[in-house]
Amino acid sequence: MDEIEAFLTGRIWLRDHTPFQKEDIDTRINDGRIRTIPGITGRQCARCREKDPRLIAEFACSRCGKNCFYCRHCLNMGRVSSCTELITWANPSSSGGHLHSFVWNGTLTAAQQKASDELLASFHKKEDHLIYAVCGAGKTELLFPPIFDALATGKRVCLAAPRTDVVLELAPRLKAAFPDTVIHALYGGAPKEAGFAQLILATTHQLYRFEDAFDVMIVDEADAFPYTADKTLQRAVQKAKKQGAPVAYVTATPSRKLLRSIKNQSHIFRRYHGHPLPEPVYRPLWNYRKAFRKGRVPPKLKSWVEDNAARGRPFLLFLPTVELIDETIPYFQAIHPGIRAVHAEDPDRKENVLKLRRGEIPGLVTSTILERGITIRNVQVAVVGADEAIFTPSALIQIAGRVGRAADCPAGDVVLFHNGISRRMDEVRHLIRSYNKGGAPS
Amino acid sequence: MNCLICDAVTPEPVSWRTLFCRDPTPDVCGRCMGKFERITGPVCPHCGKASDGLCGDCAMWETSGYAGVVSGGRSLYTYNEAMRQFLHRYKFLQDAALAEVFSAELRKALKGEAIVPIPMNDKRLRERTFPQVDRLLDAARLPYRHYLTKRDSVQGKKTREERIAAPVLFTWNGEPVPARVTVVDDLYTTGATMRHAAHVLREAGAEEVRVFALIRG
Repeated sequence: MDEIEAFLTGRIWLRDHTPFQKEDIDTRINDGRIRTIPGITGRQCARCREKDPRLIAEFACSRCGKNCFYCRHCLNMGRVSSCTELITWANPSSSGGHLHSFVWNGTLTAAQQKASDELLASFHKKEDHLIYAVCGAGKTELLFPPIFDALATGKRVCLAAPRTDVVLELAPRLKAAFPDTVIHALYGGAPKEAGFAQLILATTHQLYRFEDAFDVMIVDEADAFPYTADKTLQRAVQKAKKQGAPVAYVTATPSRKLLRSIKNQSHIFRRYHGHPLPEPVYRPLWNYRKAFRKGRVPPKLKSWVEDNAARGRPFLLFLPTVELIDETIPYFQAIHPGIRAVHAEDPDRKENVLKLRRGEIPGLVTSTILERGITIRNVQVAVVGADEAIFTPSALIQIAGRVGRAADCPAGDVVLFHNGISRRMDEVRHLIRSYNKGGAPS
Repeated sequence: MNCLICDAVTPEPVSWRTLFCRDPTPDVCGRCMGKFERITGPVCPHCGKASDGLCGDCAMWETSGYAGVVSGGRSLYTYNEAMRQFLHRYKFLQDAALAEVFSAELRKALKGEAIVPIPMNDKRLRERTFPQVDRLLDAARLPYRHYLTKRDSVQGKKTREERIAAPVLFTWNGEPVPARVTVVDDLYTTGATMRHAAHVLREAGAEEVRVFALIRG
């Protein structure tokens, strides 16, 4: 298998933007090894399958002299338009025969083992599967044996997650567990890797660039934005896998639709270390916006921040909007100058999370961007305005799930500062209590 | 209505005005529009950069062979981060729909003037797939006419000295040029493009050439 075949197998790529010589691509198109696909057909993007007329824009094209359509949805990956071509390897050969090894010296709890076996059975039957497991149940580890089984039998596997942070966190763990497997981690701005990857770790966005590629598909954090909000991403999962290939959804907060539509399910409502999930505590913070407007932090919130900073316990403080973070960060820094703000557009995001983990700063004021994927020993969390609509039940469950993940610090604060208790908050507390009683949620 | 830049839905407030007047609906949300920075205060009379009197670039042009070709000029926005991202997406990612973003501002600024857009050469035009300056003007419903054609050379990578000494970038297409014209470009960086265009238009018969840029870099 040459580099071009390794690259284009299962991929759908802009003809004019490959990392190879134009002549080499042209030769393979002429002899039929590479198939070309028109970029837009019937006002639908062939790469991301977007067809919302608002996002398929028309313009007078100076290249072909006609009116062309182009896709605004996946524009950042290079523009797809009516007169551009996408290419893919025409007749993918099976990639079997490669030897894989599985190096992992941890052990699964009985509950993890059961879920792992059930997932493996679903994969063998080529059926979809839902792993519904609380934050800190050890979801990633239980995926290892079924992934290894698929790799060893020559299957191509994709583990997709909606956010880059999660991909970056998972990549080293998978590379350590499967040292002989070619694994590529794909996300916006990822460095290009060589060879044919039998295991692909990707953001759901990157799946736009695959078609009929995978024998096994695993969608981690299947409830997370933007995957849930974006129909195109859900279509991308279906498009990237081969017809009839099974999909496993892994999540702590499945939607009703997932719970209803998937027959095979494994539930784990206890953390791997056996301790209960920390329950959220409600604390009223009446008219906190007014207090912030007057330039002060409400006393109850202030003492929570001071207390954690004084005891050296790292904290995450979630605020409902980026504007409120920008507005209030000086007041929090007046309490402790080390406190930092982190939001989605922040270039120092990774750096600030690392600083918190290393104990160099006392805490972060953040948006829902940090609700998942981050693990910090002994972290304490509080939500300001927990009754606001942005804090959906799944967001609050994920936020609460940051706390007490380490076996030696299994407890901690989950404080919901509110301006009136919402149904969403009650729903979350009820769910967490029912998990802790060991029962399925009702 | 979704914002052309961030795709967020902006609620359209209902008022007596929205019920009875057909104002064009804005295509960009307030948050995105607010990130662009208008040039304010005293500006250079030749290019519109924030400056007390003639700016450094323009003063230098006035000592060169291009002295006096530009009668005056304006620019609307500074080249800040939001604008850099806008231009990147409009020109390099070829998001032609973004031509609408500044339509109201351009219309207000240029209505009634005899506009000459800076043209692209054919090769560049095919690569970009649309003429970026023309489309900005079309979106603003402003009439314009081309009197210039661009030679095949790329301006972007030259140093300022190389740009000033470079041979003239444009040729006149032979059509009669009005006495007063305004040359329009998306981005004004050193002023070389504008000087070359103004020089050719003067030779072709224009008595007064003003320059206008959406952005002053």
